[in-house]
Amino acid sequence: MISANAVMNGSYDHGEVARSLVIAIAASYAALDLVGRVTAARGRVRLSWLGGGAIAMGTGIWAMHFKGMLAFHLPVPVEYHWPTVLASLLVAILASAVALYVASRQKMRPADALSGSIIMGAGIAGMHYTGMAAMRLPAVTRFSPLLVMCSILLAILFSLFALLMAFGLREETRWSVPRRLGSAAVMGAAVSAMHYTGMAAASFIPASPPDLSNAVSVPPFANFGVVMAALIVLVTALTTSSVDRRSRAEIQRINQDLERRVTERTLQLEVFNQTLRKEIVERERAEEALRRSEGYLRLVIDTIPQQIWSGPPDGSLDYCNARWRSYTGLTEEELRGAGWQRMLHPDDRERVIQAWSEAVANGTRYEQEERHRGTDGLYRWFLARGVPLRDSEGRIVSWYGTNTDIEDRKQAEWALHEAQAGLSRAARLTAMGDLVGAIAHEVNQPIAAIVTNGNFCLRQLAGATANSDKLRDAISEIVNDGTRASAVISRIRALLQKHTSRSVAVDINQVIQEVVVLLRHELGGSRVALRADLDGDLPRVSGDHVLLQQVVINLVMNGIDAMRSIEHGPRQLLIKSARDHDQVSVQVKDSGTGFDPQQAEHIFEPFFTTKPEGIGMGLSISRSIVESHGGRLWGESNSMGALFQFTLPAICNSDDGVL
Amino acid sequence: MTKIPPIVLVVDDDPSVGRAIKRLVESVGLQAAHFGSAQEFLRSERPDTCSCLVLDVRLPGISGLDFQRQLAEANINIPIIFISAHGDIPMTVRAMKAGAVEFLTKPFRDQDLLDAVQIALERDRTRREKEAEIASLRQRYESLSTREREVVVRVVSGMLNKQIAVEIGTTENTVKAHRSRAMEKMQAPSLADLVKMVERLESFAEKAS
Repeated sequence: MISANAVMNGSYDHGEVARSLVIAIAASYAALDLVGRVTAARGRVRLSWLGGGAIAMGTGIWAMHFKGMLAFHLPVPVEYHWPTVLASLLVAILASAVALYVASRQKMRPADALSGSIIMGAGIAGMHYTGMAAMRLPAVTRFSPLLVMCSILLAILFSLFALLMAFGLREETRWSVPRRLGSAAVMGAAVSAMHYTGMAAASFIPASPPDLSNAVSVPPFANFGVVMAALIVLVTALTTSSVDRRSRAEIQRINQDLERRVTERTLQLEVFNQTLRKEIVERERAEEALRRSEGYLRLVIDTIPQQIWSGPPDGSLDYCNARWRSYTGLTEEELRGAGWQRMLHPDDRERVIQAWSEAVANGTRYEQEERHRGTDGLYRWFLARGVPLRDSEGRIVSWYGTNTDIEDRKQAEWALHEAQAGLSRAARLTAMGDLVGAIAHEVNQPIAAIVTNGNFCLRQLAGATANSDKLRDAISEIVNDGTRASAVISRIRALLQKHTSRSVAVDINQVIQEVVVLLRHELGGSRVALRADLDGDLPRVSGDHVLLQQVVINLVMNGIDAMRSIEHGPRQLLIKSARDHDQVSVQVKDSGTGFDPQQAEHIFEPFFTTKPEGIGMGLSISRSIVESHGGRLWGESNSMGALFQFTLPAICNSDDGVL
Repeated sequence: MTKIPPIVLVVDDDPSVGRAIKRLVESVGLQAAHFGSAQEFLRSERPDTCSCLVLDVRLPGISGLDFQRQLAEANINIPIIFISAHGDIPMTVRAMKAGAVEFLTKPFRDQDLLDAVQIALERDRTRREKEAEIASLRQRYESLSTREREVVVRVVSGMLNKQIAVEIGTTENTVKAHRSRAMEKMQAPSLADLVKMVERLESFAEKAS
């Protein structure tokens, strides 16, 4: 039995108790804060946070506990066995490590929480009682088993509560600091309650002095040092935690910002992508429409009954439609550049190429009738046309043209022209025949009389009795008839001169140009290439426009006729006008066979002809006309052809005009 | 029958040619006359003697060929020699088919014309003789009495006197008398001559009709 006197009554220093409570709350706050850090960290950092956190938390709890012990004053001096104190600190740190580990896991199942809280609670209780075992005082410590059990249960409950709180509060939220403060206050209070319950469980009975080896007394400054050390550790932990949290928050903020920007950019990209996709679809649709439109146009170009082509400004060819290709049987490659020239008729080639070169050089419209060879080797007539396309500055960008098949029209034209030519030739022959008949009759009558009378005279003279009266009569009639025949010829001459008597100033170049127009069909139909070399500064001549025109027509027609027999080789006709002193000369030169030099003078005789259809009046009438104008007409011939030339006296400027 | 010398008639609008031909023809002893146009020729009194026509193809108003046809239609059967300043073959053929003696182109050889004239005159002389003979026969035939003609027609067709007498209702002797008198009038020496004469008359009459 122990007497009541035997139990020492302890007293509490209330300031110390309050300080221990503050330390408990601070330690709780640190614990709650550190759980968040441990949770947020990974790998080695996590391990450091776990270790560091456990030291800080453990030190905090331990410091509160130790402080609480120091707050208890006994009437005897109390010393502390320091290795045991250190052991209690170690136990506190281990218990904290377990708590931190459990609370910082991703999930906390009820079993985990329970086992964690039991370990932690046991740890804390262990720490408490280990701490109490470090006390060296001249008394025996007795424990009330009920209160011990109560304190252990409180430690476990407190631990469970702390774990749940820590787990719930580990995420950083806007309200985490006040909530943590609140929780820390509750936890601090709970820890203190457990501690003081534990303290209450002990009663001290005075006894012999204890073994004081390794024991130290705790002076007041040491007491303060423990508090300071614990606070420093806690503050360091909290500061580190705060810095880490801030940097972590910064990182998180940066991360979030980055994420936001990534999201924004992703959204932008998405929108951009969509726009792009839409554009692609639209472009594809437009391209399809373009292709279809192009296909349609190509179909139109290839189907219309026209040969179509185009080319660059240099006059080569870079496109021709299917019509042309199928007509010639040549590929586009073969027709390209100057390849199209190969299908030209040999007789047209020079003219066409020259005309095209001129059009290209001058930028003028091109229009020629030309023969193109088809796949069957036959030639058909085409009307080829080309126009230049110019840009805004007037430069030629390209040439476009068509070839129109005019073979049928050409055939019809020829047939018509042939008929007309035949008709006009017949009319001309008839008129000529009438004229010649009239002349022949007129001249033949006196000649017949002369011959008859002459014969009569011869008979008279041959007879024995010549009647001189009758002879005289006959001879005088012969003279009369001779005179009469001459008069007929004079009358014809006068007939021609009657025209020239009304002569005017004639521009011989104009006469030539009119003839060229008049005989255009004749020239074309006979494949004759006509070249007019006209002296632009030609004086006028005095004469009858129509008669001079007939002279030129006659000479040109003779030239055409002279070249009819030329199968190959050129059929060229040159008309040249020039001034020769006070005369105007006109030359008509053909590339025909020429005429026999021995016939040179005969060709001007009436009724002399070398032509199957000729009547032999053309040159003789022409010469009469020219001579009646006071000029000369003559012909020369060599192997290169015949040259007919006439001269007419030029009018001086003073007597220009109507004469 | 008075013998008038043959005459060459020249129709040419050219008086000079006409005179020259006339002169040439006269130089060989023939008569010649010159007319300036077809009308002038038709208006003139043509001598009743053998003659021929030298005709220019080209005449004022009418062509020589048309004039040839007109003459034939008017039963003026004068032989024609054509002369032309510019004759051609179709014209020549047409003229010759229509009975022309010759077609000469001016100026012609004098002998050619004179030869043609001789031929033409000879042809005309023959024609005229034939026409004169027919005329004489007709005259003689017309001198026969009605009875005599009845007998002659039957004799020529080969009937015997007896048959004729029965047909015309008279005696054989009367027929014989008519017959001998008709032969005398017709100047037929024999029955055969009489037959020939009647045949020629009939053929001429047919031709004339």
